[in-house]
Amino acid sequence: MSATLAKGLNSFKEVIDAPIASFFSSCVHCGLCAEACLFYTETGDAKYTPIHKLEPLRRVWQQEYTLLGKVGKALGLSTPVTDAELTEWEPLVYDSCTLCGRCAMVCPVGNDMTYMIRKMREGMAASGHAPEDLVGATTRAVTIGSPMGIKWPAVLAQIKHVQAETGIEVPVEKEGAEYLVLMSSMEIINFPEYLSALSRIFKQAGVSWTLAQDAFEATNSGIQIGASDLAREIVSRIVVAAERLKVKCVISPECGHAFTALRWEGPNLMGRPFGFEVKHILEVLDELHSAGKLKTQGKDKRPLTYHDPCQIARRGGVVEQPRRLLHEVAEDFREMPDAGTMNWCCGGGGGVSANSRAEPLRLQAFKHKKGQIEATGTQTLITACANCRIVMEEGLEHYHMKVEVLGLTELLAEYLVEEEKT
Amino acid sequence: MKQAEQPGSVGEGLKQRGITRREFLKFCTAMTAMLALPPAMASVMAEAISKARRQSVIWLSFQECTGCTESITRSHSPTLENLIFDLISLDYHHTLQAASGAAAEHARELAMKGNEGKYLLIVDGSIPLGNPGYSTIAGISNYDMLLETARGAAAIVAVGTCATYGGLPKADPNPTGAVSVGDIIKDKPIINVPGCPPIPVVMTGVLAHFLTFGNIPELDALGRPKSFYGETIHDRCYRRPFYDQGKFAQTFDDEAARKGWCLFKLGCKGPVTYNACATTKWNDGTSFPIQSGHGCIGCSEPNFWDAGPLYKALSMPVSATAAMLGGAAAAGAAAGVAITWHNRSTKAAAKAAHEKVTVQELMREEK
Repeated sequence: MSATLAKGLNSFKEVIDAPIASFFSSCVHCGLCAEACLFYTETGDAKYTPIHKLEPLRRVWQQEYTLLGKVGKALGLSTPVTDAELTEWEPLVYDSCTLCGRCAMVCPVGNDMTYMIRKMREGMAASGHAPEDLVGATTRAVTIGSPMGIKWPAVLAQIKHVQAETGIEVPVEKEGAEYLVLMSSMEIINFPEYLSALSRIFKQAGVSWTLAQDAFEATNSGIQIGASDLAREIVSRIVVAAERLKVKCVISPECGHAFTALRWEGPNLMGRPFGFEVKHILEVLDELHSAGKLKTQGKDKRPLTYHDPCQIARRGGVVEQPRRLLHEVAEDFREMPDAGTMNWCCGGGGGVSANSRAEPLRLQAFKHKKGQIEATGTQTLITACANCRIVMEEGLEHYHMKVEVLGLTELLAEYLVEEEKT
Repeated sequence: MKQAEQPGSVGEGLKQRGITRREFLKFCTAMTAMLALPPAMASVMAEAISKARRQSVIWLSFQECTGCTESITRSHSPTLENLIFDLISLDYHHTLQAASGAAAEHARELAMKGNEGKYLLIVDGSIPLGNPGYSTIAGISNYDMLLETARGAAAIVAVGTCATYGGLPKADPNPTGAVSVGDIIKDKPIINVPGCPPIPVVMTGVLAHFLTFGNIPELDALGRPKSFYGETIHDRCYRRPFYDQGKFAQTFDDEAARKGWCLFKLGCKGPVTYNACATTKWNDGTSFPIQSGHGCIGCSEPNFWDAGPLYKALSMPVSATAAMLGGAAAAGAAAGVAITWHNRSTKAAAKAAHEKVTVQELMREEK
């Protein structure tokens, strides 16, 4: 059993649907998507034009699904997609696309290049053209349960640590709780502040919540590598656990693609609607805040700015919520240029940060974010995605910038009114 | 300005006819307005025209119906439009002149010789190139007469759609090989005054401009004076508000037609026809076709006779029949169904061939 070119090409044929056919046939070759892509703007290399990254898929569409293409193929006039070509395209599809979706916002005919790249990766993965590091991460996610190889005991250790620190019990496997809380590997390993902040906020708000032993990991490497069969397996763990514990809502953590995987792709992967809601943590916090259940005291004096994670703002629609929350706790909040739905990617989403081969390119692309941060004149950067956070911390380190990066949830927790409940 | 009029001048002619200077100035004011000139130009025009010597004009009629001549003579008399014609020296016009035979042709030759390089040539009717015998005057073919007369003309005014664009004689299949004046004469300034027939005041207006300034007015791409042909009938139509509100007559005798709603759906060509009918109107400003309940037929546009049925809305295709359209739609739908079926089977085959991706299969064996 192995990946083969035939499997990949078959997969291309399989993923081409009505949207993709209409996208390819309506492209007017205007090149506007290039200017929207940070890999193009930071390198000036035309091969990073988003629609160009889809060229092999376009040719399969043209040869298999258009009249002229079919005739051309029958007469032997068309150039078939080869292994060598896919090898050449691998860095374009995986290293220089973070699935950030900015190109789709500027396309005058409304083509969603991100949707297409996501689908194209299915064929790339099936033909063995996925980056080695992503294959490794996906294998760990499927066999161990987490792309970083984290198992439940590691989570348990963190729970104990948080309980000792906050004095609040972290509920586990509590049936009938309102919320099922998920985390990303990054949060478990690098940012334990997240779980601690949540415990305190939820205690104040009087919310019932729980963790699940077999579904603590929110990330989904199957989405990033482009293997729906594996993505389905990973997402089904969360669905099964949420339905077993009869929760009303699953909270996607401060992680971009996890939100996309669970909220938008999830029901399609499962082929059925979920029996529970999926919300991003910022949506939940904003709701609690509007309901008067999240009370804060005092404001952060530091000038600070907010980085919109692509999957949460542009692709997920969570734009206003972080601003409302920030205005509660920040005295000097400054928007960066292009903030909101047109924000620039950190450069490491969509599996790029897990791909060590892409590191030099990712750091080069970070210059755009660097410029945005510098324009605000702040030294404190808030975000709501652990992956953006780690990518930006690396970028800031690389460019010797003294900027601190924080998660919005933990910033809120710092200004929480701690009341002893009787 | 009580100076003595020079003998032979327009001013003297006016005086003889009992036209007061006041009346003449009124005419000039109206004319300047019509030609879209600044108001101050009225007195300049009056000065220029009254001092001008009577302009020698030769009028040639080729393949035509005499409608253009009818039109220009139909202007109500006595009006100044009519009189200004007496103020030019119409040296040859075979419908209007009294002379006949050799004397008539002699008059033309005399005028050409006496005003070499100065006379104005007016042409109505198209010129047949198919066979010179199709239309002759005094044994001279239209083509030869046009070339001969045009040689010494200061400028040419092509009057009517036949002379300007070929008109009815040129309509498919054009049995006489009819062409316009502009198709033959390339080395003289030509003013096109199209219309079937043109509005009288437009013809006299162009002559007044020539008499005043001694040059030709500003023309559009089709050689028409912009002052009269600058806007479409539609843009100046008093029924335009109904068009904007989507209120259309569906038949010539329905309630909407009686209410005077827009005639677009009954084939009015107003939106694509450049002419002054909606502003100057006809018969001394009485009415124009749309006002009397009939759509514009677009008679001042090139090839209007072949531009589709007169009673079909502009938005409807003119060349394809219902059967052709139905056939094309059916063939398109069938092709669409066939391609869709083929595409679906391609995709279904790809789905059937899908082997579940496992983590072991993410790598190549040789890797």
